[in-house]
Amino acid sequence: MSWDLVLAVVRLIVAVLIAYAIVFVAALVNIVFERRVLGFLQDRLGPNRTGWQGILQSVADAFKMMGKEDFAPTAADKTMFTLAPIMVMIGAVAIQVVIPYTKGWTDQNLNVGLIYIVAITSFTVLSILLGGWASHNKYSLVGALRTAAQMVSYELPMILALLVVAMAAGSLSLNAVVAAQGSYRWFVFTMPFTFLLFFIASVAELNRGPFDLPESESELVAGYGTEYSGMRFGMFFLNEYAGMTIMSMVTVTLFLGGWQGPFANALVIHGVALVPLVWFLVKVYALVFVLVWIRLSVPRLQVDQLMGFAWKVLIPLGLVNILATAAVLLWAPHWKLAMAVYSWLALIAFVGLFDTLLRWRLKRQRRRVAVLT
Amino acid sequence: MSDAFPATVPDEAMALALRRIAEAEAAGRGSEMAGLGFKQVVVNMGPQHPSTHGVLRLVVTLDGELVKDVIPVVGYLHRGKEKIAEKRTYFQYIPIPDRTEYIAGMNCEWGYVGTVEKLAGIRPTRRAEFIRVIMAELNRIASHQVGVGTFVADLAPLGTAIVFYAFRHREKILDLFEIATGARLMYNYFRFGGVRYDLPDGWVEQCREVMNQAPAWCDEYESLVNDNAVFLQRCIGKGVMTQDDVADYAITGPNARASGVAHDLRRTRPYSVYPELDFRVCLGEHGDVFDRYQVRVDEIRESAKIVLQCLDMLPAGPVQLGGLRPPYVITPPPGACYTAQENPRGEYGTYIVSDGSRYPYRLKYRDPCFVNLQIFPKLLRDNKIADAVAISGSMDLCLGGIDR
Amino acid sequence: MLPAIGGAGLSIDEVAARLAAALGADLRDPRVQEPDTVVATVERGRLHDVAVRLRGLDGLAYESCNFVAAVDYVNRFETVYHLYSFASNTYLELHVDVPRAQPVVATVSDVWPAADWHEREAWDMMGIRFEGHPDLRRILLKDDWVGHPLRKDYVDSVENHPHV
Repeated sequence: MSWDLVLAVVRLIVAVLIAYAIVFVAALVNIVFERRVLGFLQDRLGPNRTGWQGILQSVADAFKMMGKEDFAPTAADKTMFTLAPIMVMIGAVAIQVVIPYTKGWTDQNLNVGLIYIVAITSFTVLSILLGGWASHNKYSLVGALRTAAQMVSYELPMILALLVVAMAAGSLSLNAVVAAQGSYRWFVFTMPFTFLLFFIASVAELNRGPFDLPESESELVAGYGTEYSGMRFGMFFLNEYAGMTIMSMVTVTLFLGGWQGPFANALVIHGVALVPLVWFLVKVYALVFVLVWIRLSVPRLQVDQLMGFAWKVLIPLGLVNILATAAVLLWAPHWKLAMAVYSWLALIAFVGLFDTLLRWRLKRQRRRVAVLT
Repeated sequence: MSDAFPATVPDEAMALALRRIAEAEAAGRGSEMAGLGFKQVVVNMGPQHPSTHGVLRLVVTLDGELVKDVIPVVGYLHRGKEKIAEKRTYFQYIPIPDRTEYIAGMNCEWGYVGTVEKLAGIRPTRRAEFIRVIMAELNRIASHQVGVGTFVADLAPLGTAIVFYAFRHREKILDLFEIATGARLMYNYFRFGGVRYDLPDGWVEQCREVMNQAPAWCDEYESLVNDNAVFLQRCIGKGVMTQDDVADYAITGPNARASGVAHDLRRTRPYSVYPELDFRVCLGEHGDVFDRYQVRVDEIRESAKIVLQCLDMLPAGPVQLGGLRPPYVITPPPGACYTAQENPRGEYGTYIVSDGSRYPYRLKYRDPCFVNLQIFPKLLRDNKIADAVAISGSMDLCLGGIDR
Repeated sequence: MLPAIGGAGLSIDEVAARLAAALGADLRDPRVQEPDTVVATVERGRLHDVAVRLRGLDGLAYESCNFVAAVDYVNRFETVYHLYSFASNTYLELHVDVPRAQPVVATVSDVWPAADWHEREAWDMMGIRFEGHPDLRRILLKDDWVGHPLRKDYVDSVENHPHV
């Protein structure tokens, strides 16, 4: 019984608690942020009573949920029913651990960070499936299966985009990706097409915005979370918002230069620079704002349109993107410039062609006939 | 614990749905995935449901994702208005048609008052005719804003902004109503031979200002919806109503006009001062969900034009027949009469049988939503549930009129 | 494809004359109610036949059933059918006498599907049974309501309000 072992275990526990705390707080802040932003965009106020400008609203909601009756259906599998909401946050927390928040501070500096992220995103799918199955409700099961199918389908374009980032940065480590982007040559400017693919895939991965069929409120059944109430449902709910923040952090790290920004060396405390942390958070919440904005503007896709979009559009484009980027990297003389040119052309072609083709196929002249009998 | 709640006995509608499933399975037309052990399932949508507008209950028979049959169950809002009519004098009854289609109150009042005037041979004053048209068209705009807003909200619930913008614009119209009549939704404004109050000072200018903004509102709605690929994917080609359907099921209003049937009572059976006004009948071409939405937005524009014309043409004069002593007690001669007005939802009319006394002998409403709801089983069959929600939203129902 | 509204250009008197010619004795007492309605009476037994012929009338087909109303004159019932013809843009109002003792009349919901729910409401409110109706159950009142409220002699019973 050496004190070193005890100390090591205590440090481990504290580290895990801090990691969870960061994710929880991020999720709570995110909920209030979304509700205020939704209100602002819908020409109304969001919740603004609890705390300054409503910041404590999600804390109040969490207390309310914790006070609800702990109810489980009689026929549900008790162990799994309890386990699913607990498990669901693990994905978000585990990813958050490897993200470089600022210069000199990464919780775990893995040199295969990208592969690690890819592996962990699959974890949420597991817990959703578990939740749907453990409810002993055929609608929950169908909803969970649909969610799982959607998340698994959209992981592929995400991975394909990540591979391109790895190629461009020359490494799988997240710190190397951030460093490769320099202070202004972010991958969103040099590889916008890849950014678009990754962004769309991540929105679908989060069950957000136009891809939120599993949690649709006005459809018939509520999906995998039907039988969950109180804090159990709260965990699923929090996980969605935690995922939003964490996925935005990943996107910022990969494409928006991570913590890069001016005055990087201004305030350094204990080797941790504080100004880049501010830039990081600003970028993350800008992306979160965009996610909320998209959710507001676009109606949801139906399940067949969703799956068709993933398999028939995003994955082929992702594969073509990899091939083209690899070709450019191998053979083009100024590979950075060439890659930027290719990516911008691909973006314009994709957006212009796809959108125009879709609308041209769907829209036709509406005749307005005047009848003056 | 579980035997404290007795097993639910299916009511008649559910029993009917279950019987039909049993018959289909006996005839070998069960679930399309019967080989995998799937069966058709009966699910209740409503009467409390976020996307059935009002207390409508749809007993839906589902085969996987497809809707196989829909049995609408209505009557949750039945208030016995037709029976009430037999115990009230004609004048006392005026507030009540307001509450049938509560979103389009002015048009409903006109439906009742118009029939009584025809029975009794009363002609309203000219100024009152114009004011009636103004109020009815303003109400048409407000009603279409509700219809379009809630329809879009069905497709993109909570996250869409358009319903809030539509309702905010509608507030301006409701403010106009409040200034003129004292109420936002239940007006009690029409009288036999005219209207209750004259327009207050400054109302005409305010109305003109609001109506000049109306085309901008429509542009805003269209900019959010018409170019959005996801909206188009979910609306175009869904829920097509053919012209034969329109005739068979007596569909009227924007739902019929979206299918290309140019049936607009303001033109085909002109009443009041509509023959003197210049406006177009808005038609659609394909009769699908998108056309029904587009016809409503176009009609907002046309109604704004009508209101502006009426404001310009508004003559001076009394607004109530009989000046300060309007007819309170009316005894129309014995007989029966039916007139109809163009409600935002279709042909709204009343059939009144009079026996010469102060009370109507029989009052029967011809409510457009009651009639439009009959086509639901046909329209929703073999569509996915999500499409079913979109189609039912596009039909723009108001349960107050269905149930009366 | 429906004909254009008002396309035939017939005046209401001509419409009445053509109806009388086409239906002969079945259409009793046709009269014109300004501006565009022809009112007539049909005998109860001939209703379905007349309905089918009206639906298929050449150049004047009545494709649409606007409503079906039931009226309680104390010694008899009357069902009123209000029909619309797109070709001539006119309405036709048919009155059918239904005896109080035996309130049964043939359904027209197979001719005009729009009449379906109106007939259900007539059954619900007035107690007139429509023979051949595919699904005659109460529509506006709850399934186990006792009585038919719109009748003139209706008295509400305690069974209808169990929770009051």
